[in-house]
Amino acid sequence: MELELVHFQVLSAALFSIGIFGVLARRSAVMVLISIELMLNAVNVNLVGIAAFSDRAADVRVFGQILVVFIITLAAAEIGLALAIVLRVFRNRGSANVDELNVMKW
Amino acid sequence: MGTDAAFLAPVIPAIAFALILITGRRVPGIAPYLSIAAIVASFVVWIVVFLAFLDDGPGTRSIEWFTIGTFEFTWGTTVDEISLVMLGVVSFVAIGIQIYSLDYLHDEPRLWWYFAVQSLFAAAMMTLVLADNLLLLYLGWELVGLGSYLLIGFWWERRSAAEAAKKAFITTRIGDVAMLIGIILLFRATGTFEISGITELAHGGAVDESQLKWALILIFAGAAGKSAQIPLHVWLPDAMEGPTPVSALIHAATMVVAGVYLMVRLFPIYNMIPEALDLIAVIGLLTAVVAGAIALSMTDLKRILAYSTISHLGFMMLAIGAGAPGVAMFHLLAHAFAKAALFLAAGSISHGSGQTDIREMGGLWRRMPFTTVTFWIGALSLAGLPLLSGFFSKDEILLAVHTGRLNDAFLVVTFVAVAFSVLYTGRMLYRVFLGRLLPHNEGAHEPGIRMWAPIGVFAALAAVIGVLAFEWGHEYMGFVSWVEDAEEGFHINTAISGGSIAIVVIGLYLTWLIYMQRRISASDIQRRLGFLATAAERKFYFDEVYQWGIKQVVLPMARLTAFIDRAWVNDIGVDGPGKTTRWGGGILRYIQTGMVYNYALGMVIGAVVLAVIWWSI
Repeated sequence: MELELVHFQVLSAALFSIGIFGVLARRSAVMVLISIELMLNAVNVNLVGIAAFSDRAADVRVFGQILVVFIITLAAAEIGLALAIVLRVFRNRGSANVDELNVMKW
Repeated sequence: MGTDAAFLAPVIPAIAFALILITGRRVPGIAPYLSIAAIVASFVVWIVVFLAFLDDGPGTRSIEWFTIGTFEFTWGTTVDEISLVMLGVVSFVAIGIQIYSLDYLHDEPRLWWYFAVQSLFAAAMMTLVLADNLLLLYLGWELVGLGSYLLIGFWWERRSAAEAAKKAFITTRIGDVAMLIGIILLFRATGTFEISGITELAHGGAVDESQLKWALILIFAGAAGKSAQIPLHVWLPDAMEGPTPVSALIHAATMVVAGVYLMVRLFPIYNMIPEALDLIAVIGLLTAVVAGAIALSMTDLKRILAYSTISHLGFMMLAIGAGAPGVAMFHLLAHAFAKAALFLAAGSISHGSGQTDIREMGGLWRRMPFTTVTFWIGALSLAGLPLLSGFFSKDEILLAVHTGRLNDAFLVVTFVAVAFSVLYTGRMLYRVFLGRLLPHNEGAHEPGIRMWAPIGVFAALAAVIGVLAFEWGHEYMGFVSWVEDAEEGFHINTAISGGSIAIVVIGLYLTWLIYMQRRISASDIQRRLGFLATAAERKFYFDEVYQWGIKQVVLPMARLTAFIDRAWVNDIGVDGPGKTTRWGGGILRYIQTGMVYNYALGMVIGAVVLAVIWWSI
């Protein structure tokens, strides 16, 4: 089977949907974070696929892959920061359940 | 130096005012001396400027004030015959008044404040007098109003004084608003505030006649307010609530003649519009007659003098309406000194005997001979006793009415007004000074030198200033010609002079019969006059009518306005949006659940909606 752009896009869409589901449905802050990671990686897959199958010149297409590298770096930094916050919340409140982190309201 | 130095005359008292304000509370003792030193300096400036004027003639000087767009506003002074006469009167009378006040108000705790306002008033009055443009004049005009307000209300703990101050301020303000509109109309028509410029343009026919007419009538309304002409005269009698020296300076000699001065200053323009002059003449004459009649029935000495002032201001306006501004200035001069002497003498009476009601006086000449003589000189001068200055000025007015542009019916009514002034003078003189000394006045005494010296000087001037009316040679053809730059010298009409002398003699004899001999009963006359006498006693119901108007018209309108302000502007216009926002926020805040996945869901829904919109376009 020949690998087509549509496969990348389907994979990307699937990963993104799972990520959204995770963000909306999971109660644990860690799981929410992992879901966000999934969404980010869905974007990465999409970018790589488009970069590979584009009709543009090679030196333009390579930007898609460069962007992916940036996203991976940023995602690492983001998850580090986010996990640190979750850790602090857990230490302070004895739980990382997002249901209970609802003081920021009316 | 020369006439350019004139600007110093208002500037020095203004500096004194600032200094007294700064030092007043800490060293109140120096306030009177600062104030008097400043006003004496102003008088010296007047002498210097006057001598320079005799050499060089009239002069104007102006400097830039500020510029808006291409239009330049200026400060400027005009030195000519009219402003010099006024400046001299203001600074000279103010010196006497301030010295008099030293004794009259010596135990006042707020004396420093009194002198601060005196300085402010002097500065404002001289600004008004010297101003070469209407804007600066208006500035001085409003500031003298402020000075008057503050000094009438000097004893503001007394409710009547506070009320009188408010009444004076508001009544004159009604005229002032009209005047400001008139000034703006003139500015719109001519593009300048400068009086000489406006005069030139108006004479050149650059101004539409009906526009000019309305502007002049509106400006006259301001003058009528300041100079207490009917129907805006009601504030002046109440202004007597202030200290007597204030009444003498502001409400007799200087500020109230500002309206007359303004009319004289703008006379070249008024002269183009006969209707405006007719209006001035009618209002002036009406004021002279009505105020004279009221003065006949008042019993408070200061109020008699106040109505007498109103009546004489009416004479001045009448002279202007007759087309004789020089005559108005001459009467202004004669009246200023005589009235200053009268008020100061009246102050000396209340100071020495504690009385203000003429029914409580009588025989005071036994205890206060000096005050009596000065008071008689001032009063008889104003009544027009021959050889005193008032005789000449009153004669000139009658002559101007006779020979001027007015109908001879005016002359007849003017004689009636003159007769009133003789009658109330006689009544006042006999009841206060002659007859039996009442027991409670046994202790009446003459005042100290700082009080009688000013009275004496003013009375002497009131007696002799009339010589200015005569022709002194080719350089000086009499006061009126000097002011008006006319060629005609002083002259006298035997019929008119004879008539006015006859009125004086008959009037004084009649009042002698009524109040001294008691051959004619005053109450009998009152009964025969019936309604007229009552009406005069009630001041022709002006106050009642105004009170009714305020109660029935002004206050309901104020309440309506207040209601609109509260209900619409405030409750709906201002509070409305606030309340709506608050209410909306109160409902919408329940969206904020604090649950992170709710927000995430919101984001997702938003993204989906955006995507749908994107694709459907």
